[in-house]
Amino acid sequence: MASEFLTSLKKGVFVVPVCTSCRKKAWPPSARCPSCLSRTRAAKVATAGILVEFAASHVKNREGTFGIVEMDGFRLVGSIEGTNLKEGMDVKMSKCGVGSDGAPYYHFQPAE
Amino acid sequence: MRRVAITSAATSRFTKASEKPIFELACDPCIEIVRDFGKDIDAVMLSTCATEQYSSTIVSEMLGLKPKVSQRVDNLCNSGTNAIASAYATISAGLCDSALVVGAEKAASEGNRLTWDVTRGAFNFPVHWAAMFAKAHMRRYGTTEEQMAQVSVNNHKKAAKNPDALFQKPISVRDVMESKKIADPIKLLDCSAPCDGASAVLLLGEEKAKKTENPVWINGIGQQTNGASFADTADLTKLDTARRAADEAYKMAGIKPADVDVAELHDAFTILEILAYEDLGFAEKGKGGMFVSHRDIAINTRGGILGCGHPVGATGVSQTAEIALQLAGRAGRRQVKNCTTGLVHNLAAAGSSATVMVLGV
Repeated sequence: MASEFLTSLKKGVFVVPVCTSCRKKAWPPSARCPSCLSRTRAAKVATAGILVEFAASHVKNREGTFGIVEMDGFRLVGSIEGTNLKEGMDVKMSKCGVGSDGAPYYHFQPAE
Repeated sequence: MRRVAITSAATSRFTKASEKPIFELACDPCIEIVRDFGKDIDAVMLSTCATEQYSSTIVSEMLGLKPKVSQRVDNLCNSGTNAIASAYATISAGLCDSALVVGAEKAASEGNRLTWDVTRGAFNFPVHWAAMFAKAHMRRYGTTEEQMAQVSVNNHKKAAKNPDALFQKPISVRDVMESKKIADPIKLLDCSAPCDGASAVLLLGEEKAKKTENPVWINGIGQQTNGASFADTADLTKLDTARRAADEAYKMAGIKPADVDVAELHDAFTILEILAYEDLGFAEKGKGGMFVSHRDIAINTRGGILGCGHPVGATGVSQTAEIALQLAGRAGRRQVKNCTTGLVHNLAAAGSSATVMVLGV
């Protein structure tokens, strides 16, 4: 995993490693591009996406609505805020970071 | 290519977390096998997610074995069949004539944690991806929570006939539906439970195997790894890894899905057994939910992972041990009549890797 990704995430800034050669996004985050194996460099990317699937979690310390969001070239599982949620709807990242237990978190909300 | 057979199989009783150390646990199912076969064993492969160093060699030493090859195999829940595939290859290539594959795990294994995958964010428990699979299948194909519950009912019923299973009591659809919600639509009894467990099989090369009673031949192996992260799962209603592994295994064995008499499917969650019906070609795409109550092959005869418990590194070995016992006619009270072709389906981490094996007599 690219350390830049987590370092940045800890500051609440979402970046994705992008290949310095072929410009593809390296996802999951990696120091090397899985496509051409060149080095990657973290870059800020658009965090708007589509809600693929969502459900309610009742797991201790993981309560709430979560879902898969498809963004431009990568997918994330995160908390989904808001009401009247529907698969296929446009969402955007509202918050991200690293929790006290060391797990990354991503929050999304409906785009409009 | 030199043929390879399983000639012995043994599984210890799966239990809740115990004080027994991993190495002692690993030795338990091997005792009977080594006593019967003797100590002239060329390879020992230990399937486990336990992180103790030099572990396969410690187990070999405890069993009084001096193998040519000794190695630990770790590929999470898919470790067991990976170890068997490695043992198969080692014998088939002629490096060894015999291999003891043992799977062992403690309930509190590191293998239960998915710490590397940042794509899952805070929702990093296996149940979270299982919920996504279930929701997608329900939405697209109309699969119901009751159909998923029935998978658990079926497997707990079988486990009640297996003295080695963690769970010994049948349950009802209502029990599953009313069990604690974990991640909708997955409830507690839709989930398998971590446990202590160990299982072992002995593999022999063709010449030695033919001298034993009822050898069970490994006729096909297919394996596929698509990544370590959930992010790569494009379609949540099928597992590409399992489909590709199955295609290869069927092709190598020269059989079709309809030829399978008895199968062990990776039911770590109820939805996974439904996906397996479709991925393995037992049911049409989208019809897995209906197949739960209308099956024409024997599935998870030992009680599956739902009924037996899920000692991660031991699971694939115990699945294979069950099919070997069934095909050898040594499955006792749960023996399936007239079975000649069996299948093992073993997954890891949201199906990001898969092994399918075809066995036959």
